Amino acid sequence: MIQLKDLTFSYLKSDGSKVSETPQLNNVNLTINAGEFVLVCGPTGSGKSTFLKALNGLAPSFTGGVITGELRINGTDLLGSEPHEFSHLVGYVNQQPENAFVGDTVIDEIVYCAEQLGLPVNQIQESVIQISELLEITELLERPLATLSGGQQQRVAIASALVAGQKILLLDEPTSALDLEGAAEVLKVLQKLSSQEKVTVLLAEHRISRVIAAVDSVLVVHGDGSVTKGPTATQFNDPRFVPPIIELGIKLGWKPLPINTIDASAKWLETKPKFSTKKTFEPAEEVLKVENLEVTFGNVQAVKSTTFSLAGNQISALMGENGSGKTSLCWAIQGSGDRTKGSVLTAKGDTADMNSDERLGMLTMVPQRAADLLFLATLSAELEESDRFAEVEPGSTAKLFQSLAGRIDTSIHPRDLSAGQQLSLVLAIQLVKQAKIVILDEPTRGLDYSAKHALAKQLNGLRAPNRTVLIATHDIEFVAMVADRVLVLDDGQLVIDGYPTEVLGVGMPFASQLAEISQEPGLISIEQVLL
Amino acid sequence: MSAINSNRHLVSAIKTNPLTWWLAGISLAVAASLTNNLSILICIGALALLTIRFCRDDSPWGYSIAFYIRLAAVVIFLRLLFRIIFNLGTSTKDAVLLLPSLDFDLGFGNTLKLFGPISGLALNLALTDGFRLAAIILSVGMANSLANPRKLLKATPGALYEIATALSIAINLAPQLIASLSRVRRARSLRGQSKGMKAITGIVIPVLEDTIDQSMGLAASMSARGFGRKGNRSNAQVLGARLLAFSGICLIVTGSAFLLFSPDQQVLDLTLLILGLALAVISIRLSSARATITRYRKEPWRKGDAVLLIASIALVVLAFGGVLRT
Repeated sequence: MIQLKDLTFSYLKSDGSKVSETPQLNNVNLTINAGEFVLVCGPTGSGKSTFLKALNGLAPSFTGGVITGELRINGTDLLGSEPHEFSHLVGYVNQQPENAFVGDTVIDEIVYCAEQLGLPVNQIQESVIQISELLEITELLERPLATLSGGQQQRVAIASALVAGQKILLLDEPTSALDLEGAAEVLKVLQKLSSQEKVTVLLAEHRISRVIAAVDSVLVVHGDGSVTKGPTATQFNDPRFVPPIIELGIKLGWKPLPINTIDASAKWLETKPKFSTKKTFEPAEEVLKVENLEVTFGNVQAVKSTTFSLAGNQISALMGENGSGKTSLCWAIQGSGDRTKGSVLTAKGDTADMNSDERLGMLTMVPQRAADLLFLATLSAELEESDRFAEVEPGSTAKLFQSLAGRIDTSIHPRDLSAGQQLSLVLAIQLVKQAKIVILDEPTRGLDYSAKHALAKQLNGLRAPNRTVLIATHDIEFVAMVADRVLVLDDGQLVIDGYPTEVLGVGMPFASQLAEISQEPGLISIEQVLL
Repeated sequence: MSAINSNRHLVSAIKTNPLTWWLAGISLAVAASLTNNLSILICIGALALLTIRFCRDDSPWGYSIAFYIRLAAVVIFLRLLFRIIFNLGTSTKDAVLLLPSLDFDLGFGNTLKLFGPISGLALNLALTDGFRLAAIILSVGMANSLANPRKLLKATPGALYEIATALSIAINLAPQLIASLSRVRRARSLRGQSKGMKAITGIVIPVLEDTIDQSMGLAASMSARGFGRKGNRSNAQVLGARLLAFSGICLIVTGSAFLLFSPDQQVLDLTLLILGLALAVISIRLSSARATITRYRKEPWRKGDAVLLIASIALVVLAFGGVLRT
């Protein structure tokens, strides 16, 4: 189906020279079979997106750069063709479907590709019926796209990519912005497409722990130009992106490595490993008090009357489905977000009454779209500006950034960093300020496992009796690793406030993967497992 | 006109061809640009607003009019302000505003005069000018809020498809820029205020980058789904079709420009415009026949479209006939 022969891709600078000595993709040779479900993974910034884009001409057409070698799809070499010449063979779905939508309603969006390819109207009709049944969106056809949930939008985007009978589907992190339920919906549909319809699926993902059991093979983009592909268990020897389930198997020396929860459960029962209770930190004095806080937009109540306080020495996680009010709550606590009612008291008064300088002295926040904070022309300029502003020793931000993202050439433009690297940069800029209140909104999106471990370490290092950290996230494994307390929002209401060992424990809706594997109460993160 | 406003079942935005709204909007704008009567201008503006009020649907697009109303208000204000600042009148006779005048010596015997006494007539003229611009803005705003430019794409003939796509993305850019501006300003306050140039670049650069990123993302998604395919047409055919379409548009633009800027030779101007329109229609027909795009659900012409179109044409004829001129 897809055959790559000596495929090489390099980015070019504006003067025509290559950005780096080693190409982004270097002499890639591999074959992907019809109906194969392939997980594409690799460390942050290794070039997973570039690899996918090279397969339908978006790279170099939309990214710049040079590509050489052979790219055979169904036997025809299409290397160097424009993306629209791939469009009848390859469907492409990106991270944020709402930015890629051309239509207003679901049906407009689905038929777009078929219209562009000039298919006859009756054929489009049939195809729409078939594909919408397959993706379970038949009821949604007349709805405006803006009214759909994230998971529904992604399924529409997939339908739109396959409406003309394309048998290859490329997906660039389609679930990174989705909650558990949305991500599960999309994954289910992808499995069905590959097994029933023999669609070849290439799925680039960061949250791979729940995906690896579903795929046929794993393709790793290593970041040094090499790309390897093989059966799942053989591909995880790079510690930077080993998912928890594999990490557990490696830690306990299990052979063969279990890749799904059922196998791992059996192995756990058989070997009965020992584990410690989760390390707890005593909450210190109260740092922040949220009282009767309400946020209303138009006639939508985003946050309903909520009261809680955050203590020093404490890392709290704020969880809940998409649209449950996490982001609205974060901004309302920060002080500049809308508030209908209520107060957020700190040692220096209500955050809403502070001017922006007072707020900066008191709290620091990383918003969901971290890249909005970056505006200078080079990475080094951003790092220096951050040191100057935070009044810390020159080089402090750079050191923190390196601990999260590894060594990166500081002369490059921040926009050329990958999404995960940009997030790491903004995390470094905001954490180096050592503010008393730290609010992070989805701080692990696009980060590989080693970056998540590094972030957890930094957050633990920030613990102080007068400092509190609040993390809004969908990332259960990260919460299991770092949090002392879990708050769960449901439809704007605070419904759960408890210890992670309870909220993420066996049988709970947010159970961590290790809790599911071991079925042991009180065990949620791999650090607890003893050798 | 009352038929348009009162009967919302006859013409609601959902059940009307988007092209009709744009033609109606353009007709209103043309009528506004041809009249000097302040009360008629106010009527046109009010008509546009009322039409939106009664015909819009619940799509988020329907609410973009707030932006146009603000823009119109700013334009009226600026027009008046400029008239007061760059006032060339000196006589205090008939003056309604007696402002002291400021003279700047520019050397070589030239002086720049600012402010000074201003007559009621001058103010009235400036106000009419401001309201004319405002009425044109509101007319376009009406079309834009009632017919999403994306929907308009479906109604454009195949030959104009690429141009229409570019235009619809460009029109989309304004609301997108505003949204990303407010988001980036809020995000910037999290980083800390920079001083001098950095304070400006700190806002402008992320907004521009974000807008360009989004547009590029949309373009990539369209391209990946087949936009821009030649199909079975040869390069020469594609080029020919584009040239024909382009020349058609040029003729229409030239014709209307003559008509608006030299209203003394109306017969000649009208002939030019009609000739241009005819040529454009022929070229579009010719090249559309070769286009390879299917329209899955074409927007049909309905009764409401006919009513609107007749009303619009009547308005333009009245304006040209000089009935609306005073």
